[in-house]
Amino acid sequence: MSSIPNALCFGDGLPAAGAPCHVVLSADGLRLIPLEGSQLVEESVAYSALSVAAGGLDHDQLVLSWTTGASARTLYLKDPALIVAFRRTAPPELTASLERAAEHVRRARHSHRLVWGSAVGIVLGLGLLLWFGSDLIVEWAVARIPIEWEQKLGEAVYQDALSKETVLKEGSAVGAVQEMTQRLTDKIPHNPYKFQVSVVQSPVVNAFALPGGYVVVYTGLMKKAESGEEVAGVLSHELNHVLQRHGLERMVKMLGLAAVASIVLGDQQGLIGLAKELGLNLVTLKFGREQETEADVTGIRLLSDARIAPDGMIGFFERLSEKDKARVELFSTHPMSAARAERLKAELAALPKRSPEPFSFDWKNVQESLAKSEPNK
Amino acid sequence: MKSEILYPGAFPMVRVYLADGETVKAESGAMVAASPTIDIESKMEGGFLGALSRKMLSGEKFFFQTLRASRGAGEVLLAPTVPGEIVVMDLDGVNEYMVQKDGFLAGAEGVKIESKMQSLTRGLLGGEGFFILKISGTGQLMLNSFGAIHKIELKPNEEYIVDNSHLVAWTSTTTYNIEKASSGWIASLTSGEGLVCRFRGPGVVYIQSRNPGSFGNWIRQFIPVSE
Repeated sequence: MSSIPNALCFGDGLPAAGAPCHVVLSADGLRLIPLEGSQLVEESVAYSALSVAAGGLDHDQLVLSWTTGASARTLYLKDPALIVAFRRTAPPELTASLERAAEHVRRARHSHRLVWGSAVGIVLGLGLLLWFGSDLIVEWAVARIPIEWEQKLGEAVYQDALSKETVLKEGSAVGAVQEMTQRLTDKIPHNPYKFQVSVVQSPVVNAFALPGGYVVVYTGLMKKAESGEEVAGVLSHELNHVLQRHGLERMVKMLGLAAVASIVLGDQQGLIGLAKELGLNLVTLKFGREQETEADVTGIRLLSDARIAPDGMIGFFERLSEKDKARVELFSTHPMSAARAERLKAELAALPKRSPEPFSFDWKNVQESLAKSEPNK
Repeated sequence: MKSEILYPGAFPMVRVYLADGETVKAESGAMVAASPTIDIESKMEGGFLGALSRKMLSGEKFFFQTLRASRGAGEVLLAPTVPGEIVVMDLDGVNEYMVQKDGFLAGAEGVKIESKMQSLTRGLLGGEGFFILKISGTGQLMLNSFGAIHKIELKPNEEYIVDNSHLVAWTSTTTYNIEKASSGWIASLTSGEGLVCRFRGPGVVYIQSRNPGSFGNWIRQFIPVSE
């Protein structure tokens, strides 16, 4: 009799890939019906003679073994319907080992799912971390850059930027800027930076700060200002970009992992080289909106601490943005918005009222000296 | 469907005789020649998504070609891409073969081909990738190897160790674990047998006598570097 095979039988004298056979279950055992031409002999096996386990590549097959005379036989059942039928008809003494086999299968499936699930989870998690946590990674990396490196980096760019400009060495404008810087930096607690502020002769209305404490103020900006307090406001904002290490954060963000790697490995030459190689222009580096707000807020507090009238900063920014929006370089990197002015005013209102102390210089004289030193304008 | 291996050895071909109306599916590009009564259809086994998943996941070809004796009985000559032996086996409906992605050459109409996801360790370390082909059903199945094909027969609980890049196919009654070839990691790496598969019977494992990856590395040194 030949039927559709539903199991594979292994044992002595049988093919290594297994002899296909048909298994019929009954109340007291199973009957093995060989296919036509098979070396297998038809036999009946009592349930009591069987031992049960899980097996196969995915541990999802039911393995039944017994001995026939001197030779051992192993039967692999794969068909789920047949396995269910076997579990139903098997006597109670087999139930324990059947349960063990089923538990084995469940555990194998569970760990399979668990491993895949956690692998997918880890990949997703890393993706999300990179997507949302990049700021945290950047901050972590920046916090590891020693101040000396930052100064070296800033100095290199500073020398480079000033080599093409006319730097004012003396005069009342330089004196005024130095006085402002002195008053502001005196009030910075635990200042790790040695600030260097230069006045550059140029009609450009701008000021910028480089990592490491290098600040440049253009005479164009000073001419537009109506008081020393206004320039001091810009200066305070720029100093705070340095103190919060905004330039470095932007740089690390733009250079990406290579920069982080060179920071971790302690390769400062590499970092500076990397910045230069990529033509990263620190002078025109745009800060993010959050960084601007941070520099605004901390800037206005520093002004207040230094007893310099803080409203000069707001007024100057507002006036410049209204008049010469297109021509004022400062706003290409520091866009002024109504929201930003509101934020500054709110911050100012929250600060304790301190009576401002005037500067020792006369702003009119400073501006006149600037007009004289620039014959072209 | 009947078949016959011509020129056994490194450069064999299979001659498949098809009765009127019979079909054989083959790896795309495997047909060398055919009788004029044979039509070639490109068919995506398992539907578009099935074919796509097979293509994306196991790297197997997107389409299988189906050769149908639609205008009378005829014969088809099939050959694999790489030099190496061809083995023909009869599927009986219960036996199931796991086949690494380049191993499938052709199969009768009743042969069922699916992509199967492996466990993570096997996928990462086994060298066959995360997805392999699970071939079951009834009828003749033809597998090809790189080099000669060797059959290892395992009795219940008998073990055998195989270098993973030499695997071609194994029955689903076997189990295997991936392990280091030597007891230490250094020795594993320097012996040139980093990871191996420990198979446990019962069942059959087919291995190939050459390692395609190593052969690729060896031949690379002779390829001139273009400017």
